[in-house]
Amino acid sequence: MNRLCDLMEPRVMDDDMLKLAVGEQGPQEEAGQLAKQEGIVFKDVLSLQLDFRNILRIDNLWQFENLRKLQLDNNIIEKIEGLENLTHLVWLDLSFNNIETIEGLDTLVNLEDLSLFNNRISKIDSLDALVKLQVLSLGNNQIDNMMNIIYLRRFKCLRTLSLSGNPISEAEGYKMFICAYLPDLVYLDFRRIDDHTAKLAEAKHQYSIDELKHQENLMQVQLEDEQARQEELEKHKTAFVEHLNGSFLFDSMYAEDSEGNKLSYLPGVSELLEAYPDKFVIICVNIFEYGLKQQEKRKAELDTFSECVHEAIQENQEQGKHKIAQFEEKHLSSLSAIREELELPNIEKKILECSADISELFNELMMLEMQLVEQLEETINMFERNIVDMVGLFIKNVRSLMAQCRDLENHHHEKLLEISISTLEKIVKGDLDEDLPDDLRALFVDKDTIVNAVGASHDIHLLKIDNREGELVTRIDSWCTHLVDKIHKDEIMRNRKRVKEINQYIDHMQSELDNLEYGDILD
Amino acid sequence: MEVLREKVEEEEEAEREEAAERAEWARTEKMMRPVEVRKEETTLTQETLRDLEKKLSEIQIPISAELPAFTKDTIDISKLPVSYKTNTPKEEHLLQVADNFSRQYSHLCPDRVPLFLHPLNECEVPKFVSTTLRPTLMPYPELYNWDSCAQFVSDFLTMVPLPDPLKPPSHLYSSTTVLKYQKGNCFDFSTLLCSMLIGSGYDAYCVNGYGSLDLCHMDLTREVCPLTVKPKETIKSEEKVLPKKYTIRPPRDLCSRFEQEQEVKKQQEIRAQEKKQLREEEERLMEAEKAKPDALHGLRVHSWVLVLSGKREVPENFFIDAFTGHSYSTQDERFLGIESLWNHKNYWINMQDCWNCCKDLIFDLGDPVRWEYMLLGTDKSQLSLTEEDDSGINDDDDVENLGKEDEDKSFDMPHSWVEQIEISPEAFETRCPNGKKVIQYKRAKLEKWAPYLNSNGLVSRLTTYEDLECTNILEIKEWYQNREDMLELKHINKTTDLKTDYFKPGHPQALRVHSYKSMQPEMDRVIEFYETARVDGLIKREETARTMTEYYQGRPDFLSYRHANFGPRVKKLTLSSAESNPRPIVKITERFFRNPAKPAEEDVAERVFLLAEERIQLRYHCRDDHITASKLEFLRRTEVDSKGNKIIMTPDMCISFEVEPMEHTKKLLYQYEAMMHLKREEKLSRHQVWESELEMLEILKLREEEEAAHTLTISIYDTKRNEKSKEYREAMERVMHEEHLRQMETQLDYLAPFLAQLPPGEKLTRWQAVRLKDECLSDFKQRLINKANLIQARFEKETQELQKKQQWYQENQVTLTPEDEDLYLSYCSQAMFRIRILEQRLNRHKELAPLKYLALEEKLYKDPRLGELQKIFA
Repeated sequence: MNRLCDLMEPRVMDDDMLKLAVGEQGPQEEAGQLAKQEGIVFKDVLSLQLDFRNILRIDNLWQFENLRKLQLDNNIIEKIEGLENLTHLVWLDLSFNNIETIEGLDTLVNLEDLSLFNNRISKIDSLDALVKLQVLSLGNNQIDNMMNIIYLRRFKCLRTLSLSGNPISEAEGYKMFICAYLPDLVYLDFRRIDDHTAKLAEAKHQYSIDELKHQENLMQVQLEDEQARQEELEKHKTAFVEHLNGSFLFDSMYAEDSEGNKLSYLPGVSELLEAYPDKFVIICVNIFEYGLKQQEKRKAELDTFSECVHEAIQENQEQGKHKIAQFEEKHLSSLSAIREELELPNIEKKILECSADISELFNELMMLEMQLVEQLEETINMFERNIVDMVGLFIKNVRSLMAQCRDLENHHHEKLLEISISTLEKIVKGDLDEDLPDDLRALFVDKDTIVNAVGASHDIHLLKIDNREGELVTRIDSWCTHLVDKIHKDEIMRNRKRVKEINQYIDHMQSELDNLEYGDILD
Repeated sequence: MEVLREKVEEEEEAEREEAAERAEWARTEKMMRPVEVRKEETTLTQETLRDLEKKLSEIQIPISAELPAFTKDTIDISKLPVSYKTNTPKEEHLLQVADNFSRQYSHLCPDRVPLFLHPLNECEVPKFVSTTLRPTLMPYPELYNWDSCAQFVSDFLTMVPLPDPLKPPSHLYSSTTVLKYQKGNCFDFSTLLCSMLIGSGYDAYCVNGYGSLDLCHMDLTREVCPLTVKPKETIKSEEKVLPKKYTIRPPRDLCSRFEQEQEVKKQQEIRAQEKKQLREEEERLMEAEKAKPDALHGLRVHSWVLVLSGKREVPENFFIDAFTGHSYSTQDERFLGIESLWNHKNYWINMQDCWNCCKDLIFDLGDPVRWEYMLLGTDKSQLSLTEEDDSGINDDDDVENLGKEDEDKSFDMPHSWVEQIEISPEAFETRCPNGKKVIQYKRAKLEKWAPYLNSNGLVSRLTTYEDLECTNILEIKEWYQNREDMLELKHINKTTDLKTDYFKPGHPQALRVHSYKSMQPEMDRVIEFYETARVDGLIKREETARTMTEYYQGRPDFLSYRHANFGPRVKKLTLSSAESNPRPIVKITERFFRNPAKPAEEDVAERVFLLAEERIQLRYHCRDDHITASKLEFLRRTEVDSKGNKIIMTPDMCISFEVEPMEHTKKLLYQYEAMMHLKREEKLSRHQVWESELEMLEILKLREEEEAAHTLTISIYDTKRNEKSKEYREAMERVMHEEHLRQMETQLDYLAPFLAQLPPGEKLTRWQAVRLKDECLSDFKQRLINKANLIQARFEKETQELQKKQQWYQENQVTLTPEDEDLYLSYCSQAMFRIRILEQRLNRHKELAPLKYLALEEKLYKDPRLGELQKIFA
């Protein structure tokens, strides 16, 4: 196609061009005069039309943060770019350009209508972020692979699609294929899909679609399972006892313990190792359950606290509102009285009264606020004490349970040492019946070696237990301090905001009164 | 019982005499007092006598004067069935048993009044009271429950006092008669009610006892009308919320406790004084309202209904006074004593002391110590009966010389002699006699009408008075039914002159309540609507002379309130009706609910259009965590600046207070657009107000029309009143009738008289068939000829007469008066007419006769009974 624009000079999207366009397309008549007077800020523009301007490169659009509709059709754009900031965009028209690949649309999550008609696109791609897409126009492009359609299945809102003028539209059964694979589609190539066609298409491609659906379902189920698992873990993490509801800790103890694994082949150790993990796991599960319970308790405590605080604030606000309403009623009547008053001394007297009223309101509101601050402080301190106590108790109990773990480990260690030494003695005496693996036999060189080996295994085990305990304690401590800090900070913020609000209101009232004064004096 | 038997055997005669004597004595004693009074009277001086006479003449006896006598003379007994006029052997037997029972009773309790056992019925036949009860379940679902049943009986019958207030009546009529004449005494009332209640499954009993004066005379003037009693507001017990763990402490109370206490004390004193005054006032009122003491207190015989708990989920025993239909607790002090009670199966005598009214009575009918039963073997016998009873009754039998052994054990009550109680639907709907009833309550009068009796649908009216004498009307409530405008209740308050109409759902303008003082437009009034029936969600509209306030709910634009102030109407020279010249609107205030879709600082809570000052004020909703709300005010005073250019927008045209200042709201463009938008809205609101005004006018007009027309709706199922369906039905019936007649004609059998000559049931031979046919045809022929002859004869007669008349005329033509001549001429023309008709008829007959003949012949050939004939032709 020979286009006129090919002959013309490409233009750059500079400030002047944008300003011109905005001015042309902005409000008209009276409002237009105002707009001109004030100047339009790009941020406020909601729709922009930049067609037939020989633009080669999209640029300078980053200021249009709130843009909803952008038309860039009939230019010579070659690459989709510079649209990252336009996250509110709903309508994007890039038809009649020279685009070759779909790209640069990953931030436009609100996009509903996308037109890429008459470009040079050969593959439908990179549209994943456009979850709200309803209308997609890809006619007159170079899409030649039918499998591109399957990519479009992920857009649940897609209702209108145009693909005519592509190589695939020449293919046999093109329409049937699309109808079958996109059953929610209503319009294809500017025509409504009638029920009859939809049914035929469904029947034709039933098997392949069923298979596809099955796969998709499987994926979905997997995803959901994964999510559920993640959620569960998240829940445990908030209780600080994740991975304690099984043999995870125990397994990790032996994971890095080469000596321990070697020693397990000693005669008698296997029996020892049978009972040991069970006992260990029981304690772990105890910790886990205790942790969950404590978490519930903490949550309940926190809920009660925030509910009470919320109630208190609400009540205080109601009182404040009531006071203001009362004041406003009075103030309004006195203002109108001032306006009607003719004699200057009287006016002054009334104005004085008014300002006295205002300051009184200020005092009342501030008193309310101070009162609330005091009450809340008391409550917050009480809560802080309680929650710190609770956490302390939790830590203490967890420590004692962990100590049990350690006891078990010590016990196991003694037993193991005993067996090892007796085995060593046997080896020294030479009356060992069983065969030992070579690497294990290497340990039984002398007493120091074997004791060291057993000791190393023991040390690793203890280290693991200590680490787990330390992690738990630090995390819960930091949670606690964070929580308390946040509560304090929130309260301070609230207080500042309220004080600011009151001041602002009072200032406004006062300035209104002052204006009135000046106005009167001027009159 | 052994003892009883002996007593009966030995002392029967003597005791009876004694009892009779005692009764005599008691009667004389009763009589004594009035006699004494009379004696005293004679000793009075003439003056006092005259004074007394005068006073006596002033006294009116309202009840006896008003109420028509209901004696057996007025009752037509000819149409009553046999069971009313005679007794069956079983009934006779029962009467004997009852007599015996009565004898024993009077023997054992000589100081008690004789039993009310078998009064005479309307046919002068003694009938046992239990058989007068006829348990009937009414076909009307409304009469299934006791309260509506009692209300119906009290409405349906007119009360007649007992002939002797101290004795049970001598007659007890059947419910058939009572229902027919719609009046009766307390025994008739309770018999009817008891029959209906037992029929619908209640454990109900007729009671013969003593009641207070008010009860016996159906005097409700000292009762508060149940309709005026306001339901007690149930005080909701406020749930005390347990203080939560972190509930904030209330601020310290810095008031002096001593001062508070003093204050409370003072308050209490004042309150106590007020209370005392109130109580005194009340006491005074009570005193005034109290009844005068009744000389015959405790002796007035009354009958009512007792309902025992157990059946039909009745939780506890209670009385129903059949006169009023009200229920009373068994502890009520108006019921002064019970003599006996009965249902359709048995009869019990109260053996308990009634010194404390009925308060101490125990209604355990199975307890023979408290309740002496008459017949054995009813389901109420709870205590086990021993042989003594058997033998006792056997002995009774012996005494009565019945000699039948098997009569003893369970002598069943014979079936009621009364016909089944029937109430026609018309009577049921009309309810009260003549469809109207008036009840006088304390400070209130209740009038009732049958539906459709009043042309405006009025069914009841309650007038409440200020004073006991019922002279100053306080308020009037009128209930309506079947009105086309769905008016349900009209409430007129006479003190404030405020009228309130209540409507049922379905009024064309969705009216619910309309309260007003006058029907003139632009006056004080409040109209409430069924908001679900209205598109605009209007709930209420209040109007005063200068304002109109509307309340909305459930609108998509969240409008909740609109208030318009009007200025005085500008006088126009031309037409100045309210419609063509609306009042100028000064101010419109609109309030909105919170729109959850918008942030609070952009959601308008209130907007005020000050039309006169060209000002628009906006107030926004308050954010959740704020106590102040944004405000915005637009002024449009100057439109032209000093140079004569039009000013579009200047910063001082918009005064705003923003809780959280935002950038874009400072822009002139934004403000301009907001103002333009508000201007459009203002126009719309003005239009809305104007439309509301128009609608009010329309409603008032419609109401006036409806009041004037007061048409009643008639259900399509109401076959009696629905004129259209009635007409249709009648037309259908007529058509059916005609159809029937035609069918009869076609079925006319020509052969019947000839077949009758032959022996029936035999098949006709061919010869017989031919003869039959010939006979039939010849007969028909003869008839045709006869008819022709008859016409001929008449024709000739007419012509002869005419000729005679003509002759006579020609002879006397000269002497005739003009009148006679006229007479003659008219006669001539008439005769000529007759002759002509006869001639025509004859000709027609001549034409038709052969055709008819042929038709009959054809018919006879085809007649199956003459099948033999066809064989020849076949």
